[in-house]
Formats: sequence, C-alpha cells, structure tokens
Amino acid sequence: MEENDQAKTTATKGTDAARKVRAMVKNIYKSCHDAQAEGKKVAYIMVSSQYDEILRAMDIVPLPTENYAGLCAAKRDMDRFLTKAEEDGYSQVLCSYARIGLGFDSMRKDLGCMPENAPDGGMPLPDIILGSSGVCDPRFKWFQACGRFMTAPTYSIDVMHPAVHCDLNAVRDHYVRYQKEQFEGLIAFLEKQTGKPLNKERLWETIRLGDEAWRLWYESDLLRMSKPCVMPSQDHFSVMVPAYYYSGTQEAVDFFQDLVNEVKYKIENKLAVVKDEKYRILYGGGLPPWHTMWFFNYFESFGAVFVIENQYRGFDPVEVPGHVKDPVEFLAWRTFLRYTKRHEQARANSGNPVVERILDLIKDYDIDGVFFHACRSCRATTIGQIHTKNTLGRYTDLPMTQFVSDMVDLRDYSEAQWKAQIEAFLEALAARKRPL
Amino acid sequence: MTSITQMEDLYTQRGKRARELHAAGQKVVGYFCCFVPDEIIAAFDMIPYRIQGCMSEPIDRADAHIEPMACPFARSCFNMAIKGDYSFLDGFVVPHSCDTIERMYHIWRENTPAAFNHFLNVPHMMGPSSDAFYRKELEFFIKALEDWSGKTFDPAKLKDAIKLYNQRRARLRELYALRKPDPPLVSGAEITQLLVAGMGMPADEHIELIDGLIGEIMRRPQPKGPKQPRIFIWGNEIDDTAFIKLVEESGASVVMDDLCTGSRFFWDDVPETADPLDGIVSRYLHIHCPRSYKPAAETREDDLENRFGYIGEFVKTWHADGVIFYIIRYCDTCELEGPDLREYLNVKGLPVLMIEDDYSTSTIGQLRTRVQAFLEMIV
Repeated sequence: MEENDQAKTTATKGTDAARKVRAMVKNIYKSCHDAQAEGKKVAYIMVSSQYDEILRAMDIVPLPTENYAGLCAAKRDMDRFLTKAEEDGYSQVLCSYARIGLGFDSMRKDLGCMPENAPDGGMPLPDIILGSSGVCDPRFKWFQACGRFMTAPTYSIDVMHPAVHCDLNAVRDHYVRYQKEQFEGLIAFLEKQTGKPLNKERLWETIRLGDEAWRLWYESDLLRMSKPCVMPSQDHFSVMVPAYYYSGTQEAVDFFQDLVNEVKYKIENKLAVVKDEKYRILYGGGLPPWHTMWFFNYFESFGAVFVIENQYRGFDPVEVPGHVKDPVEFLAWRTFLRYTKRHEQARANSGNPVVERILDLIKDYDIDGVFFHACRSCRATTIGQIHTKNTLGRYTDLPMTQFVSDMVDLRDYSEAQWKAQIEAFLEALAARKRPL
Repeated sequence: MTSITQMEDLYTQRGKRARELHAAGQKVVGYFCCFVPDEIIAAFDMIPYRIQGCMSEPIDRADAHIEPMACPFARSCFNMAIKGDYSFLDGFVVPHSCDTIERMYHIWRENTPAAFNHFLNVPHMMGPSSDAFYRKELEFFIKALEDWSGKTFDPAKLKDAIKLYNQRRARLRELYALRKPDPPLVSGAEITQLLVAGMGMPADEHIELIDGLIGEIMRRPQPKGPKQPRIFIWGNEIDDTAFIKLVEESGASVVMDDLCTGSRFFWDDVPETADPLDGIVSRYLHIHCPRSYKPAAETREDDLENRFGYIGEFVKTWHADGVIFYIIRYCDTCELEGPDLREYLNVKGLPVLMIEDDYSTSTIGQLRTRVQAFLEMIV
C-alpha cells in the first residue's frame, strides 16, 4: 500500500508513554530479525498464554502473531493477507487474526521471501511455534495449521481454569498440578530446542520483572479513577504492548514506572483528555477495532471519554502463597489465582465474574455508560457480551451498547452505522444525566 | 410397528422416549458434545440425553441472550431450551469442548437452569497429565451426581454400563458395515435417523431398535442401480437428514462419516479395565474431535497421518470416491482443521467439497448446485 493512500486509523493518545509504544511495536519485529542473525531462537507466541517469563528466562525471542495482525489493520494493510488465507480455504468467519497470520505465512512461503512492504519489516520464519489453549481455541489450532506453510517444531499447552461454580478449595490442587505439568512439558520441549537447561534463578528474575510491570500497570489504572480522565482507553490499548510482549523484561518495568509518573503528573496538573468531560465511558469488553481506533477521539469530540477497560488487563495482582518455592509452581499458582480472582465474589453475588469486575469498575470510575465491541470473527471475547449486559441490567440502569465490527477485518465495519449508533448512545447518556 | 417406522417416529418426535421416562419419574440428564460419558450417567440409573437443535425452526428467541456470531447449532439448542422444549431435562451437563459451548453453559444455566447443572472441564491437549486431569474432572462429576441423586457411586454398575454401551457401539459398527457394499444396503439418511433416535433413549432400547433395523434391511430387496459416487462426510453436527438427503437425492451414496453426531461419538469402544474410570478416560479424551490437539509430529506428512490416519482407513475401507465437509459456521476448530484434512485427502487422490452452512433447512437448497457440480466432477 502506498503511504499516502493510508486512511487515518489510529487515535490521538493522551499520554507520552502511550505515544512511545509505536516504536516498541516496531522493535518487536526488528528484535526478531536481529535475534535470528545472532543465532537466538524466535518463537511464534500467543498473548496471555502465561508462559512469557519462561521464554524470557530461556532467551527465546517472542514473535506475537496476533499483534502483527493488529498492526496490519492499523496500517490498513490487511486485505492482501486476509484474501490470501481465504483463497487457501480458510473461512471468512474464522478468527481474522488467524487469517492474517496464515495469509502472511502462505504468501511468504509462495514468494520465498518477505511480502513486499510488509508492515514493520514483516514476521521472520520462526524457529519454534508455541500455542496454548488460554483464552480461545484458535490459539493452538491456528499454530497447528501453520504446519502447512513452514517446518518449525510446534508445541502447545493447556491453560485451564475452573468454572465459577466450583468449590475452589476442592479443585485448587488439581488445577495447579495440571498447570505445572503443562509448563514442565513446555520447558522440556524448549530445553530440547535450545540445547540449554532452564535456569530457575533466571526464571525467578523474569517473574519478578513480569509481576512488577503488571503491578505498575495496575497502579496506573487505579490512578485513572481520578476525575477528569487523564489517560483514555486508546492509551490503554497501546500500553498493553509492553505489558504483554515485553513481559519479564526491565524495559516493561521502566515503561510502566514512567507511565505511573506521567499519570500522577497529569492528575496533579489537571491535564484532562477533554476540556469539558461530560460522560465517562467504560470499555466493557471485546477486542478493539484496530482498523478504526480514531473512534475514541470521535466520542471525545462530544465530551465522552473512555476512562477504563474490561479488556487486556484481565488480571489484578494476586498473592501466591509463601510456601511455593519453585518458580514453575509459582507460575501455575499465579495462573490459577489470576483466573479465579473474582470467583468467590461472583458466587456470592451475580454468579458472573465478568459482571462483578464491571460493577466494580462502574463504581470505582464513576461510569456513565458501558460500551461493548462484538467482533464477528472472535468467539472468545464476543460470546457472552449480551449475557453480561443482561445480567448487569439487574444491578445498574446505566446505558449500555454493543457495537459490531471486527478486530481487523474492515469488511465487517460500517462507519455510517457506527456514527448513527454513537449518536443514539450519546442521546441515551444525555437523557440519563438530564435533570428530571 | 416395524423398526423403520419406530425409528422414523422417534426421529420425528425428538425426545419422545426421554419425555416418557421423565414423566415416569426417571431422571433425564441432557448434555452437549462427545465428551460426557453416557456410561457414568447410566451407572446412576439416569437417562443420558444428547441435546439436539432443530434445523427447521428459526432461532427466534436466543439472540436476546447470545450473539449471532456464535455456533448456530448451540444457539438453536438454547433457543429450544428457552421455549421450554427441554423442560424434561432434570440435569444439564456441559463439557468444555469449545469456546461457544463453554459460554453456553453459563448462559443456559443462568436463563433456564435444570435441577442439576454441571460443567465438565476437558483438556485440549493430549498426554498423560491430561488423562489424569480429565479423570479428576470425572471424579468431581461423579461426586456431584452422588450429591444430587443421594446415591452412592458403584463401580460395578459403571462396568455394566460400559459393557452395555460397547454392545451398542458394536451394533452400530455392524450397521455401518452394511454401507460397505456397492450400492450400500442402508442410506445415509436412515443412518442419521437411527443415530438421532438413539440420542434420547436408554442404550438397551436403542440396541433393540438397531437389531430390528438390521433385520429389516437384510430382509428387504437389495438396492440396485447404476454406480453412484460414494461419499464420505466430515464435519460437526448433523442431527437432521436434510443435507444427507440432498446429497443422496443428487445421485450419490453417503457411505461413511466422521461427525460429532456420527461415527465420532460411538466408534471406539471403552476398554473394559479393572478400574472402569481408566477405560472411560482413555476412550473419551481421545475422541477424534478438531478441538483436541495431538502433539505435533516431526514432519508434515507424519503430522497429518497422526491426526487423520483413522479417516484414511475409513475412506479406504468404505471405498469413498469423494469427501464432503459440512461445517456449521463459526466453528473455529473445524474451520482450521478443514484445509489440513483436505490436503491429506487430496494426496490420497480424493476430491473434497468444503461447505460452510448455517444449521438451517432454509439454506440447504442453495447447496444443491454445488453438490451436484461436485458429484459430476467425481463421475
């Protein structure tokens, strides 16, 4: 795509920290190319697979294929990869991240080299492919399908958590044990691939760095309760990059420390996102529309700011028991505790941990309305939104809306439809605030 | 009443027998997919009921609760539930088979709960630690059934149930063997009717029905006619004869399948092990469903053979001339599996037609031209 043909897709950010993320994204792909030149292993990975710190401890460079799909959408250079995947027989309703990834891989294979002008230099052929069942089904099926386009040792792990109705005391050991075994299987695979044993002291260090970055991320979100909003949701959807793709590094810690400092500074100096903040909106769930992130600014032009999100920072800090002395077991415990953080609260109240989190956010962030984004090709983050909305309706009378498009496939997006729906949502927000 | 008319009756009036048993005081436990062992439910003297949708009814109520980009089969089942069609279910059990079904458990339970509701977690990965995990999940399931029913689990009764269900499997394989001759002695539509009928009745009654059907098939005149393409069907849920009939009316014989509602759910026996749960685990966790992940082999060829070798045997043994994939839309695991399976089958010289559909009889007719064109290509 010619540079001057590219439509505006990104949103204007509120913080300097978020503005630095673009360079970090570029560096992800550059690092992969550089790493291979240095003889290091590069691995295709899936976000939130809970194994990031293991990879960092073993000097494996992560190559996040989902992020690459989002990048292609933000650059409006996704159609050629989507089309290629569809020509290869993948359904138009299949996860569009997977379609872009497989389309890219297929094109790279056919060409025998990187597709021309691939965003950020393209994804190099990985040395290893690492899937997981955490979050959704395509995370291991997509990487299994990669075998059609490349030969790279492939391994996947389960990331399992119990249903909300389970007695956590009864199932805890069972889940932690299985998760630990899954990590151990992965480590054995990686040791074979790298020829090096895992250094557990090093793993403790990457875990410390990973947890510290996430703690700071959490702290920045707590600061965002302040009114008016100084860090909007478009910034959040940028800062998830260092949180996930630099997890286990000092770089991520430094980034989030800077973010915390900046948010504090902005609060102290009342540097608001919009001058006249009329409505505070919660991004209630769903992958963001990477192809059209400027819609956040469009809302802002009406005085409506997205102030917090129920997406990506899915886990608040958890306290792993002190008796856990092995870092792999620590990761297993952390996984279990992260996924079950609101189970007991949910059992005592709505029965739904997502609803509990949203209710907490509504209260803590003084929310006026809730926005959901349904992605036509993402089952995991979309299915259940209506149910969540219905359940929330029992506890709050806030206006709630569900917009439909896709995370990266622009064919599922209609600007006119969105603008009409935005208008209607703004009217609902105004009606609720209007004095009787 | 002949077995064929009885089968047609049970197929048409879905759940008829289960409703009768429920009315007589027996507990009927509904479940989704292939990962909930019938034998465990039967060992508690309850009736396992495989939940089905209804392709001929529009989804007119479910969309207020679940997004339209979810599997239309699951939405159809839920649509029936909120309209009261599943009020005869005393229990509701959902395995974590895929993203949609996992979500469905919570939505269903919240909106139309049964007296007993249970979620059975099922690993996607396959290996020794997954076996141990699934076994523990089954133990939780058994404990939940004990608490609900007030009965104590008896391993001897589970062994008996395993024997009984293996007998049913053997009979079904016997029936499937009647599809090997050319032309086959039994149609794909008849097979679908029989399987659907069996989803809502006790195994011993289903065995009786299968035996009766086999007898009637053997007594009726053997089909004759010109050579027709022999089709193998692969996909997810087909609990309606509409599509199979369309293929057969287009001039082909549907001779074998790998479907959630077909051979996938019954083909392999449960090994009769000293501890019956060992047999259950080794059988159910290793069902060939695209949602399960077999560890990758070193080469592409080995990986495909490892994943699809059993299909290779099926198409060879049943002399298939072509393969049709019937995938219900929004099934990510089937959508990702399909192109790999097509590659595997094409290498064996088998043509493949890949169809994605909406689980609705109103869209079936649109597929006729594609099916006919595919069959002409084979001939």
